[in-house]
Amino acid sequence: MNDRLMDAQIREGASRGDRYREGASRADRGREGAGRGDRPLLEVHDLRVRFPTPAGAVRAVDGVSFDLWPGQALGIVGESGSGKSVTARTLMNLLPRTARVDGDVLYEGRDVRALAAAGAKHFWGVEMTMVFQDPMTSLNPVKKVGEQIAEALRYHLGQSRGEALAEAADLLGQVGIPEPARRVGQYPHELSGGLRQRVVIAMALACRPRLLIADEPTTAVDVTVQKHLLDLLDRLRAEREMAMILITHDLGVAKGRTDDVAVMYAGRIVELADTVSLFADMRHPYTEALLRSIPRIDDPSGHRLDPIGGRPPDLIDPPRRCSFADRCRYAQRDCLEAVPEFAGLEGLHRFSCNHPAGTERGRAALAANQAAGRNAAGLSMTETREEIR
Amino acid sequence: MIGFVARRAVTLVLVLLAVTFLAFAALNVLGDPLVNVVGALAEKDCTEVYAGVAEDQSTSLNPSGDCEIVAQARAEYHLDRPLAPRYFLWLSDLIRGDFGTSFQNNQPVGEVLREKFPKSLLLMAMAQAVALGVSIPWGVASAYRANRSFDRASTIGSFGLLSVPVFAMGVVLLYLFTLRWNIFPSAFDDAGLLPRLWSLVLPAVTLGLPLAAAYQRLLRTDLITTLQEDFVHMARAKGLTPVRIMFRHALRPSMFSMVTVFGLNTGTLIGGSLVVEQIFGIPGIGREIVTAVIRDDFPVVLAAVVVIAVGFVVVNFLVDLLYSWLDPRVRAA
Amino acid sequence: MKPANQPLGAGGVKPANQPSGASGVKRRSSRGGADGLDEVKPRRLGLGFWLAASWVVAIVAASLLAPVLPLTDPTDVGVGGPRLPPSRDWFFGTDSLGRDVFSRTVYGARISLAVGGFAIGFGMVFGGGLGILAGFFRGRLDHVIGFVFFVLLSFPALVLAILITATLDRTLLVVSLTLGILAIAPVGRLARATTLVYAEREFVAAARVLGARRGRIIVRELLPNVLIPMGALTLLGMAVTVVAEGALAFLGLSVAGDDAISWGKMIVDGAQLRDLQQAPHVAMFPITAMFLTVLALNLVGDRIREYYDVRELAF
Repeated sequence: MNDRLMDAQIREGASRGDRYREGASRADRGREGAGRGDRPLLEVHDLRVRFPTPAGAVRAVDGVSFDLWPGQALGIVGESGSGKSVTARTLMNLLPRTARVDGDVLYEGRDVRALAAAGAKHFWGVEMTMVFQDPMTSLNPVKKVGEQIAEALRYHLGQSRGEALAEAADLLGQVGIPEPARRVGQYPHELSGGLRQRVVIAMALACRPRLLIADEPTTAVDVTVQKHLLDLLDRLRAEREMAMILITHDLGVAKGRTDDVAVMYAGRIVELADTVSLFADMRHPYTEALLRSIPRIDDPSGHRLDPIGGRPPDLIDPPRRCSFADRCRYAQRDCLEAVPEFAGLEGLHRFSCNHPAGTERGRAALAANQAAGRNAAGLSMTETREEIR
Repeated sequence: MIGFVARRAVTLVLVLLAVTFLAFAALNVLGDPLVNVVGALAEKDCTEVYAGVAEDQSTSLNPSGDCEIVAQARAEYHLDRPLAPRYFLWLSDLIRGDFGTSFQNNQPVGEVLREKFPKSLLLMAMAQAVALGVSIPWGVASAYRANRSFDRASTIGSFGLLSVPVFAMGVVLLYLFTLRWNIFPSAFDDAGLLPRLWSLVLPAVTLGLPLAAAYQRLLRTDLITTLQEDFVHMARAKGLTPVRIMFRHALRPSMFSMVTVFGLNTGTLIGGSLVVEQIFGIPGIGREIVTAVIRDDFPVVLAAVVVIAVGFVVVNFLVDLLYSWLDPRVRAA
Repeated sequence: MKPANQPLGAGGVKPANQPSGASGVKRRSSRGGADGLDEVKPRRLGLGFWLAASWVVAIVAASLLAPVLPLTDPTDVGVGGPRLPPSRDWFFGTDSLGRDVFSRTVYGARISLAVGGFAIGFGMVFGGGLGILAGFFRGRLDHVIGFVFFVLLSFPALVLAILITATLDRTLLVVSLTLGILAIAPVGRLARATTLVYAEREFVAAARVLGARRGRIIVRELLPNVLIPMGALTLLGMAVTVVAEGALAFLGLSVAGDDAISWGKMIVDGAQLRDLQQAPHVAMFPITAMFLTVLALNLVGDRIREYYDVRELAF
């Protein structure tokens, strides 16, 4: 990364940090100390990840940039294949060797990819760690859960076996597992899915990381325990002043539990805003469609869900145009000619759309498409949907 | 766990009965059992002995006491009884530790086995040690960088190694290391533990290398699968080094297939050691069997075969238990 | 994937749920976008396969044509003096009795391959038959046959072979039969497993509904399907039996008689310390011939097995 770019980022970061500190108090999440420091904890700039395949390179992540401040919670939302998990795995240095990565990832100014190449010890697991989707498979079936938690403590912090096991029991208590002293000696298969995910969380938090990446942490567990787990993550994050990236396909999970939300589609961030503004004024048609496709508890009975028609685009050699146009009710001719600029109309709410929802341009585009019966990319508009705004 | 062991134990007993019966029956049904037992002596006309005719006359007819041997054999193997009771009488003798008497040198078979078996067991243990010692690092190294040049070379190498018959390997190693380079002795050296171990190195390598290739392939395949598992990603997210992850997390859950064939391969190993003992002049049970077969020494062949078969069955039984130790999920079931 | 090996093969039983390939392992795809993208290899037979196949064809042809080829009589003693090194006259030299090693190697293929072929054929007929019956009728018959297989597999293969050959005259037929008996259980287990799969398929159910006799269902519907995986394993099985014959020869239990030449017997003859010291070529040529043949059979067999996606045989 050249110096000029770095300066620019730091300057921009400073202003965002101020904004974020205000936002934090506004959200009243009880994190007074959060947001200390004058540079972001994590800076991701123009991240690109490609996987070579016989058919050509798949652009799984195609130019993602965001900053994450200490203590901040960022939600990354998108369908499967949108690149959100690949982004997380890039940060964690978990990509297969075949992956080709470009762009910069800085953690407190340190180049994370250089750390990986140098085989840095005591970085992942200590500074930055991750919780995976499926607690059934993310625990080693042949090791006792206590040992699995103690392992990181012993390796990173040099604790003795006894100390580490005692702390493991303590951690199990902190994540709300009853009878922690007994659980330490149990194997994963002896625990329920919800308890296992708590174990995974305890394991991730053992060395007090400053950044936790949670990749669909509640998708694989029972609906009844999802809320408990999310509340637990929320509480632990507040207690530990830890930054978090919460990856989910469910906008509802991100709502109320994150400070900012990034919506990803086809390897790019298409909308990025603080959570409150995003839900108040969603601009990108994809964000809007995503929300409509998910059932809500407060939906009136008999409410129809709107699935998003069509399929995500082929990520091998994607066309140079708005990647959502084929599925978008607002798409116009100009959407097919170039990738819309990622910019903001108001403040730090940024999105990449020529005809954003909830704006004059958006309403005009929708009306034109409804009149024509199809959008500019040929998507039929016959499935009439209630217009909200 | 107890129920599991009990069920396996019942099967074990049934199989042991079947195996001993089969061995006994093979030597009783294939050919005349008396001929099998005493060889050419069975041709002797010893009717007088049974008829109880004057003893001095019979001894003069058979100065070597052949007829006594024949009579002894008939009694020992209950040859006047039908096959089924004959088997059970023999089996009860066997359980009481009476393995019969070698008709070649009148030595109790039990003694012969006690003398010969330890050498063969030592050889097999060393061979397994060579196999595990080579295959685990080899499998780990090739799975660590799967499909890279080392792994590709290993795949070809292990395939080739598996196609080398054990006797061919033995002859080639004997030629190179003993006759050409004079590193290892050409025969078993029983003058103390160290010489004994040293003289078994080459035979153990002969037996162990093809086995190592078999283990390496299984371990590599399973490791590659395990390394794709979420818990390995989790371990990486915990910041553990690749070496730690490999040995502390991935290795044990990847050893199931290897352990399964560990037991079965003991059979291969037994067969292989019979041959290897010939090549390297080790006075173990393999050589004893071959000598006994050539001399038609039925009691020795039968007893050795039965002990080997029983040992093989028991090893596989133990491997089943080992399997459940490796995988706590099986233990719970 | 694992080639047949060692006296009667190192056990190659694998949990059924773990497919594998010789060159690239099929990976279990997992969640999280990144891992589903592993390279996929095109299915090709490759140069190795064709080289190996050519070797197998050449060996079979040579052994069939041996009597009409311009070779010295392999049993002729003293054709050129004992233990001569390889030369233009004697490509592979001569052995301790002055017999032509080249000629003996060609002739040796006859017994090795004949025993191997016959034994695996015998195993296919009887093991396959029992396996199909067990898989089709299930119930008590299945239990009995399954137990028989289990007991047969409870003997170390070579020990079982010793048990049989020790008491009988070691003719070509007896040795082949002995090795054939060893093949029954592994082949039978495969046949049973395959039958179980197909017996549940619609076309078998349809035949039953239409009132076809059981015998007809077995012969017309099941047999052809069970034969494919069994056939795919023929060459691998042959490799195992060729090696097994060699091992028996080492114990002095292969086909008896001076005119019954096999590679195994040649190796034993050449492996006496004095011969090995003075004339290693006497052992090395048959060893090389056997190794190349076993390797070729394994390679060709493994590719065929992969092609039909058949599980490994548990010897």
